[in-house]
Formats: sequence, C-alpha cells, structure tokens
Amino acid sequence: MSRGPGWLAQHWLTVASPVALLIGWEVASAVGLLREAFFPRPSTVLVHLRRLVADGTLLGHALPTLSRIGGAFALAAILGVVTGLAMGLWRRLREGLDPVFAVVYPIPSVLFLPFVSFLVPRGETALIVTTAATSFFLIAFTTTEGVRQIDPLVVEAARHYGARGRRLFTAVLLPGALPFIFTGLRLGLGYALIVVVAVEIVSASRGLGALLWLSWQVLKVEDMYATFLVIAALGAVLSYGLAALRARLLPWAQDVAER
Amino acid sequence: MKVEPVKVVVDDVSVAFDSRGHTVVALDRISLAVAAGEFLCVVGPSGSGKSTLLRVVAGLLRQTSGDVRIEAERPGAPLTAMVFQEHALLPWRTVLANVVFGLENRGVSRAQREARAREMLALVGLSRFARHYPHQLSGGMKQRVGIARALANDPEVLLMDEPFAALDAQTRTIMQEELLRIWATLGTTVIYVTHSLEEALLLGDRVVLMTARPGRVSQVFPVELGRPRGLEIRSSPAYGVLLEKIWTELRDEVLKSMEADRDP
Amino acid sequence: MALAVPLGLLALWELLARLAVVSPRYFPPPSRVSTALVDGFTEGDLGGETLVTLTRLALAFALAAVPAVPLGLLMGMVKQVREAVEPYIAVLFPVPKIALLPFLMILLGVGEPAFVLTGAISAFFQITISTLAGVQTMDPRLLDVGRNYGAHGARLFTRVILPAALPAIFTGLRLGLGLALVAIVVVEFIAAKSGLGHLVYRHWQTLSTPQMYGAFALVGALGLLLTRGLRALQTRMLVWQEDPGRL
Repeated sequence: MSRGPGWLAQHWLTVASPVALLIGWEVASAVGLLREAFFPRPSTVLVHLRRLVADGTLLGHALPTLSRIGGAFALAAILGVVTGLAMGLWRRLREGLDPVFAVVYPIPSVLFLPFVSFLVPRGETALIVTTAATSFFLIAFTTTEGVRQIDPLVVEAARHYGARGRRLFTAVLLPGALPFIFTGLRLGLGYALIVVVAVEIVSASRGLGALLWLSWQVLKVEDMYATFLVIAALGAVLSYGLAALRARLLPWAQDVAER
Repeated sequence: MKVEPVKVVVDDVSVAFDSRGHTVVALDRISLAVAAGEFLCVVGPSGSGKSTLLRVVAGLLRQTSGDVRIEAERPGAPLTAMVFQEHALLPWRTVLANVVFGLENRGVSRAQREARAREMLALVGLSRFARHYPHQLSGGMKQRVGIARALANDPEVLLMDEPFAALDAQTRTIMQEELLRIWATLGTTVIYVTHSLEEALLLGDRVVLMTARPGRVSQVFPVELGRPRGLEIRSSPAYGVLLEKIWTELRDEVLKSMEADRDP
Repeated sequence: MALAVPLGLLALWELLARLAVVSPRYFPPPSRVSTALVDGFTEGDLGGETLVTLTRLALAFALAAVPAVPLGLLMGMVKQVREAVEPYIAVLFPVPKIALLPFLMILLGVGEPAFVLTGAISAFFQITISTLAGVQTMDPRLLDVGRNYGAHGARLFTRVILPAALPAIFTGLRLGLGLALVAIVVVEFIAAKSGLGHLVYRHWQTLSTPQMYGAFALVGALGLLLTRGLRALQTRMLVWQEDPGRL
C-alpha cells in the first residue's frame, strides 16, 4: 500500500469507515441506544486509558508482558532457526522430527503450562517457556521450508563457482532462506503475543492479560476496553512493524504468504 | 486477385491509458481491413500494442477512440473467439469441459455441444485426452485444447495472441504445421499476433508491421507464397527474399523499442 | 519408518519413568497414560467431554465460515466493500482473540455462546482473508477467457471466479478450523467447566497426571486428525490442483 498524494482521495473509505463507526458508537452510547455499561463511549474509554497511563498501572502491566514476549521470542527464534536450518539441511533429521512436530504443533501453547511447570520452577521462566512453544514450531517450520525452497539450480551454480561448505551456507543458503525465516519470525512474534495473553490470564498477577482478566472480574468495563486497546496496538506494532522492517532489510524478496 | 468481402474493419482506433500520472498511448489511430477467410498476421516489437489491438477487437478492452466493425454473417455465432498465450484453460475443468465452455455459456444443448467438442478435439488430435485435466498435459497439448476451444465456438473471427510463444522450438514447428492444416480445412478469418516474422510469413496471407510504442501501422505486406502451404515453404527463395525485406523494416522498430528501455 | 522417532521417544520416557529417573508423579509412563485414556472412555466420561469440545468446534466453525466466505468474495470483487472492511480486519487480525472472551462473557454471560463465539471469531478473520486472497490472486486471464467465451455477470462468478478461488477458500477453511480448535481449547482451559481443555486444567489442579496427559494427547490427536483429514479431503475434491500446501 504505497502512499502517494492521491492515496487519501482514492481510499477515503478505508479511513471513513472506522471513523464513522467510532462516531456512531459514541453517539449511540451517549443517547442510550447502546447500553453504556456494555459499550462505554469511546471518549470515556480514552479517559480511562489516560488515567491508567498516568498512575503507572499500565506501565506496571505492560512491562512484564513485553519482557515475557521478548524472552519467549528470543528463545523461540534462536532454537527455531537453528532447528529449522538443521532440519532443512539434513533429511534424516527432518523425517525423524516431522511426526513429532505434527502432533505437538496443533496443541495450543497455553496447554503446555502444566507440563512446563513440572520441568521448570513456577514463575517467569515457566511463563516464558510456555509462551515460546507455538512460536518455536512456527519458526522452525518456516525456516525449514525456507531452506528447502531454494532453487537447486542456484546452489549448483554457486558450487560451480567455488562456494563450498561454510561459504555456501553463508553466501547462498542463508540469504536464500532469509525471506522465509523473516516471515516465520514475524508470525512467531505475533503468536508470542497471542499466547502470552492467554498464559497471563491463567497464571499471572501482572501483565496485560492479567489486567484484562482482573478488570473483567471486578467489572471495570472501561478499563477492559482500555487494556484491549493497548493489546491491539501492541499486536499491530508487532505485526506491521516487523513487516516494514523486513521491507527495508530484504528489498529483493517478495512477501511469502503463509500456506 | 479475387476481391473477398471485408470481414473486420478497424477504423482509426486509439487506446490510451493513465499510468502513474502520465498518459501512455498504446495504439495510435490504427486502421485495418481484414478480408473474409484471410489469415492476417500482426508483427511488431514489444510494446507495439499488438495484443492490445487484439483485445480491442475481442471486445475485452474499450478503445479510447475509433471503431471496430465485424461483419456478422451467421446469426447466433459469436463474433470472436481468442486463443490466448499460455492456453489460459480453466484448470478445474477436464479437457472436454474446457472445449465446451463457450458453447455452454451460449446455451447450446448438452448433446450438441459435446458432439461439437469431440469433433474439434479430433481435429486437433486430442480425442484420447477428453477426460484429462490441464495439469496433466504438456504445453503443446494444452495449447491445442485452447485452439479446439476457440474453434468449437465457431466464431466469425478467430483471434490468436502469440499462441505458440511459450512452447519450445520443436513443438512450435509442429503446431504451426497443425494450424496450417486445420485452417486449410476450416477457412476461418484469422487475426494472428506474433513476435516472429518467420512465423508470420509461414502462416499469413498478409503481414501488418507495427511500430514501437505508440503503436501505429508501419506497413502492410502481402505474402504471395501460394496456398495450400506447408513447412517446406521456409526453404523457398521467395520466402527468404520476403523475410529479408520485411526484417529490415522491423529491425528498426525493434531497435527503437529497445532504446526506449535503456537508461535515459 | 516415520513413527520410529516418536515411538523411540515414548519408549525412552517409559523407561525413565519406570526407573524413577524422572518423577513418575509428574511424568507418568506412557503405559499408565494410555490406561487412563482407555478407562476414561470406557468407564469415565472422556467420550462425552470430547464430544462437547467437538460440538463447540463445529458450531464455531459454521458460525465463522458462513459469513466469512461470502464476505471474502464480496471484498474481492467490489472495491468499495474491501476498502470499507479492510481497516477492521487489519486492526483485529493480530489481536489475540482470547482477549475478546471477557467482553463476550459480559455481553452473553459465562457460557456456551461466549465460548463458541470466541472460537468463531478466531476462524472468521482467517477464512475471510484467505477467500479474499483467492479472488485477488486468480489468473486474471481467466476473466478474459470467461468474457470472451460468453460468460458475464452471475455466470462469470459461478463458472470462473468461484472455482478459481476455491483452492484458497479451502485452505482458509482448513486453517480456520485449526484456529477455531485452538481458541476453543484455550477458552475451555481458562473459563469453561467442560470439554477437553477444561479436563487438562482440572487434572492439573488435582495432579491426576495420567489423565492430564491423556486429555493433552487427545487434543493433539484431534488437531492432527482434523488438519490432515481436511488436507486429504482437499486433495480429493480439488482433483485438478497440484499441491494444497504443507500446513
């Protein structure tokens, strides 16, 4: 979506639609068409959001979430890329691990919490490891695909021009797989957010997920909406921020749509 | 020379469109007349608008100005049927189902359209593959299905958009021979677009040379190499002379078009 | 051959648990887990709980697919619709759908409607996006073919656009089903009092680990069956397609 000077005029609907919705909501809620208890006015939500930021509550909950996402992502990324590369390069390994992955991958990460809590002391580590689960599989999987889809002719040509072993890996295989790896990382990061919220709901007292659940339990509806807004914003940043970064760093690659 | 009635008239057709702020003229006041039963070849460099012209005649693209008139002799028959580059078959239909596509859309009865389709498949030599899917066929076979599909529709004018360009040289030669044979039997009016001058001289009654963008008609050459024609015509001296003569003109246009692609 | 590694791992686990190298309390041997599974079906209500999860899944999927496919198609064909709807999808797609659960529970109470709807919303976005992609990435020349050969309007839609988008739609449905299952199981884990997800939670809290692992394995098996099964179905039904993709 390139933004030229004519963009707004051509795509006015994209902007007008949500704006109209918000205005409609504000009005409907104010006049009682929508129950304000269930659908607080957007302006009220913003006020509550301001308050949460001002008194530090938001930061107090956002930081743990962010650090967990960071930790989980780092864990999933490092392990995932390494495993994925290994599986991409060695067929035996891939064939051996494939069935294991196939069974474990569809299980929602949060369900691993009990298992992880047996292995690792209860607390941040357990939360981080659990959050990393699905992301790990995703990143490993896309990395493997990334290696496997490299045009064998390109590899052959590179070999012919003297690239072997380490050099072949760093000059051909790694860059060739990079677009896929990047897509996997982007998806993995997005998933880390999704899982961390669920994990926090189950088992944490601090964190955006915990804040959301807490607000629900005491029926502070405006706070719920405010927290949701923050989570959505975080999701957008993680999803689209990385996509933009990717376009910068890997200009030669087209985006690989997940299959 | 016997004067045949005119089948297709392209009258001062221009096509211009907006691309990133400025106007691009793809076709600039093209005028042509195609006689009934004639095999007309249109040759030009990339960007000369040959395919655009074909699409305008097919009614798939609206011209910016000018008029296209097709003499319809048979009520109910579609005006045009196009054979696309790279076949463009519907991948979810069998070969037979692809060939009946046009007939189906026109409401021809099942029995009739199947019969006609089988007839066309026999004509292109693919009767055995009626129940196959496109992805099971080779490039040449797929293109033959594309031809069968167009012919089954029994159009007033057959349009062919570089139909053999995507095939390897050997298959292409076979297909050209096939096409000559089929056309000799049916005698349909054909407008055939191609990059290859050799192909145009082999197949056509006349060759229209187009210029580099904006596309105009540069010259029209009659091809007097006799009919019926076969591949052996390629080694005849008359063919060689004509090829040399027309290529000199075409070469200039090709170079011009390549210039346009170079750094300013 | 493909089962060698998983079977080997299970055998190793069995050994380590039996020899108490790992605590059999927290890591019961697979033999005990399978006994618990069998008992659960024959004497307990494991079958019933599985059915509960499956029912929620079926409802959620239907609730998502029925509006999502037409919406995706509409978005693909009418620019205004796409532009009007796109911002919502762009904003909501990366949001953890589980975060919607509390809102739904306020509106609909803590019960089936909220649970099923959360699952439905998870699948809805994926199916819409995939369907839209199916229309947008179809070979544009097929549209030319349609029009040149006399198919217009509704005919063009049913004979050309819809079949061309079908593989992508199918993939979207497949992915959506997987997402719905995940969402439902998570919802059960967090908030429900029935279903496989809830069983994992309950057995965790009571430390009946064989049953917990059993339910856990059942969830994995279900997910695997559904995705592989649908992929096989896709290959069968779309005979003309070459490769439906790995996931």
